[in-house]
Amino acid sequence: MDFNPCMKHKLVRKSAREFAETELGPVAGEIDQNARFPEEVIEKMRSLNYFGLQIPKKYGGAEIDSISYATVIEELSRVCAGIGLCVTVHNSVGAYPIVRFGTSEQKKRFLPALASGERIGAFCLTEANAGSDAGGVETNAVAEKDGFVINGTKIFVTNGGVCGTALVFAITDHENPRKRASVFVVENDTPGFSVGEIEDLCGMRANQVSSLFFEDCRVSRQNLIGRLGDGLKIGLMALDTGRIGIAAQALGIAQGAFDASVKYSKERQQFNKPISSFQTIQNYLADMATEIDAGRLLLYRACSFKDAGRPFGAEAAKAKLYCSELASRITSRAVQIHGGYGYSKEYDVERYFRDAKVTEIYEGSSEVQRMVISRAVLSQLS
Amino acid sequence: MLKLVVCIKQVPMVSELPWNSKTGTLRREMAEGMINPACKHALESALVLKQEHNCHITVITMGPPMAEEVLYEAIAMGADCGILLTDPRMAGADTLITSRTLAATIETRCPDFDLILCGCHTSDSETGQVGPQLAENMNIAGAAYIEHMELNGRTLRMKRVVDEFLETLEMDLPGLVTINTRTYIPRYVPLDGLQNAFEKQDIKLIDADELGIDPKTIGMKASPTRILDVYSPVEEKKNVVMKGAVKKMVDRLFDEYGDRISAAIGKDLKTHDHDEEQT
Amino acid sequence: MTTTRSKPDTDMPSSKEKNNIWVFGDYRNYFRNRVTLQLISRARELAEKTGAKVCAVVFGHDLDEYVNEYIAHGAQIVYVMDDPSLKSYNVESYVHLMADLAGKYMPDILLIGATSFGREFAPRVAKRLSTGLTADCVGLEINDEKLLVQTAPAFGGNLLAKIITPNHKPQMATVRPGTFTEQPHDDTCTGEIVRVLLPESDNMPKNRIRVISSEYQPQRDKKLEDAAVVVCGGRGMGSKKKFKKLFDLARLTDGETGATRPVVYARWAGHETLVGQAGKNIRPQILFSFGISGAIQHTAAVNDSDFIIAVNKNPNAAMMKIADVAIVADANQFCSALIRELRKRLRD
Repeated sequence: MDFNPCMKHKLVRKSAREFAETELGPVAGEIDQNARFPEEVIEKMRSLNYFGLQIPKKYGGAEIDSISYATVIEELSRVCAGIGLCVTVHNSVGAYPIVRFGTSEQKKRFLPALASGERIGAFCLTEANAGSDAGGVETNAVAEKDGFVINGTKIFVTNGGVCGTALVFAITDHENPRKRASVFVVENDTPGFSVGEIEDLCGMRANQVSSLFFEDCRVSRQNLIGRLGDGLKIGLMALDTGRIGIAAQALGIAQGAFDASVKYSKERQQFNKPISSFQTIQNYLADMATEIDAGRLLLYRACSFKDAGRPFGAEAAKAKLYCSELASRITSRAVQIHGGYGYSKEYDVERYFRDAKVTEIYEGSSEVQRMVISRAVLSQLS
Repeated sequence: MLKLVVCIKQVPMVSELPWNSKTGTLRREMAEGMINPACKHALESALVLKQEHNCHITVITMGPPMAEEVLYEAIAMGADCGILLTDPRMAGADTLITSRTLAATIETRCPDFDLILCGCHTSDSETGQVGPQLAENMNIAGAAYIEHMELNGRTLRMKRVVDEFLETLEMDLPGLVTINTRTYIPRYVPLDGLQNAFEKQDIKLIDADELGIDPKTIGMKASPTRILDVYSPVEEKKNVVMKGAVKKMVDRLFDEYGDRISAAIGKDLKTHDHDEEQT
Repeated sequence: MTTTRSKPDTDMPSSKEKNNIWVFGDYRNYFRNRVTLQLISRARELAEKTGAKVCAVVFGHDLDEYVNEYIAHGAQIVYVMDDPSLKSYNVESYVHLMADLAGKYMPDILLIGATSFGREFAPRVAKRLSTGLTADCVGLEINDEKLLVQTAPAFGGNLLAKIITPNHKPQMATVRPGTFTEQPHDDTCTGEIVRVLLPESDNMPKNRIRVISSEYQPQRDKKLEDAAVVVCGGRGMGSKKKFKKLFDLARLTDGETGATRPVVYARWAGHETLVGQAGKNIRPQILFSFGISGAIQHTAAVNDSDFIIAVNKNPNAAMMKIADVAIVADANQFCSALIRELRKRLRD
């Protein structure tokens, strides 16, 4: 077991960091304030294959391993969590279900545009009455001669405002409780598809989170991913994969807040010395560093399980639970270390603080992660 | 096919250097490495040539085993293969000896090269000598500080600005150029390129024996220059800090430093009148 | 009294012509480029310790003007190769001639100004003579062993290295312009002018680089390096539009505008304005620094400024620490107020 990052992972980190710091760094504060999607930066990310991270090469992707993937998401989120979110959701739940469950026909049809980032992906599960409980989904898809007619409203869709390809979780069989739902690809140029207002959120403001409306959206049978009734299976797998991305994102936010705190504590003088010379601050920094390291190791274990083809659901859940909660703790600490400045928009930690919270909520809330983990624990014991 | 050779150097990432401000020492062994910024411009210029012509790019570096990383990065950006000259006996070479070792490598490993491209400056030792000295060693045409290249057949047309002269030059290949840092802004590393670089593994490691070079002619021992001492220059400044309302601070700036500003910009800023008003 | 004699290049030097200190006569852009005079001046000081003579070596055509300047500024011997074929600066032939001459006369020390030409020329000469060369020196001394101790910057000037060339001759260095102060022009100075005849054309190298055109073009970025006032801005200015104010301020102060790397990469300003590791080093009388946190690549490039006024809302930014006056304020607001005040003061 080697805990040193290999040369490849080091280079992935350096490359993503250089890009994030030089391209996203200058705009991160502004796009947060204006809830703006920085198309000028996204265009560069397209050409560098940030949208094809785990899509097979033959469809134009980079096909990188999961630790590299987590590293990229971490580095983007370390500078701008909203864009880190865009990339991870696109890759892990927008594109990966097609990679995993799509027919070769479907892969040829949908993956190239996703890999190039020409179409940005979204995954639509959450509804007004369905969040942690996917059973509450009301969007339905009714079979007709050559396909399906989809009706319903999805809310809080990450990338909703900019998505070109949405994976929609819809009810296809009201009777069969285990095979109720299916997943469909709906492209944004499908008649009946429309985008709601961009949500005015506490954090992740650069991401164009919105509602999506489906009114008599007709899609062909070839837009069904997997078999009819596979929705839950696909959804759960997508969420497992997605959790790796969200854990990486939360870790990136924490790392960004930590780096800012180290820098600030060395510069900031009180009582004629840098505050980093005070034991309280030193203890804070030591705890933050330890938690981040622990979170990273959990995350990398989930990644290596995934790449080895082993079940990784519980590992991903632990990583997601721990990283998202540490992100909230660490960003709060970072604000504390910055004092009044940290509470002002002049300093990045204020943004990190707002961005961190939602990582405990989306892609399975902390409560759901605990449910997943405890199930694994209890089933082992029985 | 045109054979390009790009020589790059791994340098410590200065911004991340563990730095002891009290003793002024640099803990270089702890630093992460990166491609020397100027070398990256040279690599970019080769990649631009490759986009326009049918080219094969070999990247060469000399350094410790960890310097292999810069070769992977170069291949990720679009180079075709890499050569790492690594041998403890090569360590500590100055520019004269480095250029000689590089020349021996190119002569034996890439004898049919058409163009060698180097950076014009290193960020660690602050020299820009290996390129010109390599041209001397290889006995080929060489031009420094090139900002633009255009290839017509075997003729390379180059533009540069040196000492305020805008020059257009030509050479027949084979030749060597060092690339200025004003143009050829390096591309970012594409992630698919990175993945491919590590799958392809097209990097050769070569030591002095494989190179067939006399160990007496390499490394620190063979180098004419010796470093006696490295130290941090001491600075003393007053560092007056101003805080408060913007307008007040502007006034204070002119009150206290108006003469100094007047002198620098060569205009009377009426600082004295202002002084009188104040008193 | 200045004496002149001619000798063919095959003529061997006398013993008093050996072990001297040589300075390469780089006269392009003279009078502005005064590095040769600065080096002659320093060479005279060094020569007091070694007992050597200070010689300038100059190649070209119609060189009398420079030769006389070199003598008036302290050169004791000037070796002149004057020929119409040397009219334009040419690295290949100059390298050939210098290596040939130095190989024969074996100077103890050979100093070359770190102009663009000098930086290309010197390493090639050093290679031909198989000797060491220290780049871009900011200090030269003679030690007790009568060796030239060369001080050269490393890591963007954050470190200085003292370097010697103990066993090879000549000890070669390129020297950063402005490091030393020239001696005043003195018409009463005398020296010896030695006109060395050019080798037979068969013995001259064939030029492999063809100069298609060469036009004098004073560069904007050169002005940045020479400017008495530089207005430098970083990301803390807030936006491209706000950054434009710095150009206004530069105009008002007859200064030049500089920018940090993030600003250049965000295209708020052109690459020619880049101050830092990959760009320009500046040393103005006054540097206004707006919204720059002060990455080491940048601070190293501005550290030689006579007087730094830094504006940053973060009093702890590295740039604020190296400033003479550190103003804690929003860079953009302070810039606007400063422009208003300057306009008022300059109007009448």
